[in-house]
Amino acid sequence: MAALRSSASRLLGAAASRPALRAAVTPAAVRGMATVTDGQQQHQAASGEKTNLKTFQIYRWNPDTPTEKPRMQSYTLDLNKTGPMVLDALIRIKNELDPTLTFRRSCREGICGSCAMNINGTNTLACLCRIPAESNADMKIYPLPHTFVVKDLVPDLTQFYKQYKSIKPYLQRDTPAEDGKEYRQTKADRKKLDGLYECILCACCSTSCPSYWWNSEEYLGPAILLQSYRWLVDSRDERTAERKDALNNSMSLYRCHTILNCTRTCPKGLNPGLAIAEIKKSMAF
Amino acid sequence: MASIARSSLLRQVASARPAFQQSAIRAAAFHTTARRQLLPPLPLNDAAPVPPTSPSHGSYHWTLDRLVAASLIPLTVAPFAAGSLNPTLDAVLCATILIHSHTGFQNIIVDYVPKKRMPGVRKLFIWGLNAATAVVGLALYEFETTDVGITETIKRVWTA
Repeated sequence: MAALRSSASRLLGAAASRPALRAAVTPAAVRGMATVTDGQQQHQAASGEKTNLKTFQIYRWNPDTPTEKPRMQSYTLDLNKTGPMVLDALIRIKNELDPTLTFRRSCREGICGSCAMNINGTNTLACLCRIPAESNADMKIYPLPHTFVVKDLVPDLTQFYKQYKSIKPYLQRDTPAEDGKEYRQTKADRKKLDGLYECILCACCSTSCPSYWWNSEEYLGPAILLQSYRWLVDSRDERTAERKDALNNSMSLYRCHTILNCTRTCPKGLNPGLAIAEIKKSMAF
Repeated sequence: MASIARSSLLRQVASARPAFQQSAIRAAAFHTTARRQLLPPLPLNDAAPVPPTSPSHGSYHWTLDRLVAASLIPLTVAPFAAGSLNPTLDAVLCATILIHSHTGFQNIIVDYVPKKRMPGVRKLFIWGLNAATAVVGLALYEFETTDVGITETIKRVWTA
């Protein structure tokens, strides 16, 4: 039943000349994830409240038609009927305006890292990025820069994950625990992991790094180096020397030139630049 | 000419093939530049290869860079602060500047001339840099031994 209703509303949407106002025409028919309740919509339609239109320009590319060049497609939404975040708008566009729009999303609260994209020139998570209500300027949404695009806003992160695997992101120990139960750690040692373990590997920082743009085949990039440091400073890990040896070459670590785009862009407020500097410092002689 | 003939040939071949192959052929015909394997090939789930350990290109190189850069500050200030000219200090300053610029250019080449994609060009650039450094080193040696030296030159040119 719900499927029928949504397909009917899609047809209506295709017929309407101004798609953003369509909700007012058929108030009870549409119920996307990002819309406010039908009752409020009816109220707005009845009182004739002003609409707050915002245009989103979104990068589109379809692998099924590879000869067509990528293009920017504009969608106009009424912000009064949309949630506050960019992801809300994207979901509403996909639900109500264009079901072919493709993007990754999962948790909608900044913990899964799926919806990383380039919004108004900054890599960030769509679910953590507010739609600026004060300006009328169009929002431009691109996939993460300098990545291969799978479709629309979906980047190919294969190399990123392969590099993550190459640093062995797990506890490596030879000696058993003293009490035979668990590997214990002092509070001070645990504190060293704060600001490192929170990384969700959304790849915002790595894809904002010019060094990573030019040398992503060999340079590990800020996100992976932050994780490297997370295992280097872990007091329970016993392979610190091997981990350092794996980084000790011209490409893996030392292509970082402290540009600090990573720290500026991190949607979780972490500091990969500092972590890389700490690795370099600990490896200097 | 060759490309035109090839694309029409492809189209003829494509008419006899299933749809997914046709689209692949169309994609291949669309690419006018040579295809390069930028990323490591399949399988997807293997870890990226870890390069061999070489501190001379890694940690030692980085530390030398920092030490040389830091030592340039006192070396630059010293002759002017002291107001006297010491040929040994002058020679040390010249040598440090030479090393500093050499490692700096080396970093630029490693960044922008990737060994994987263009090994020949990389080799050319590295040897070009080595040659340039040698020539500049020789010139500085001549300048220091037969002329007034670098500090004195700056002193004469600097009229502010």
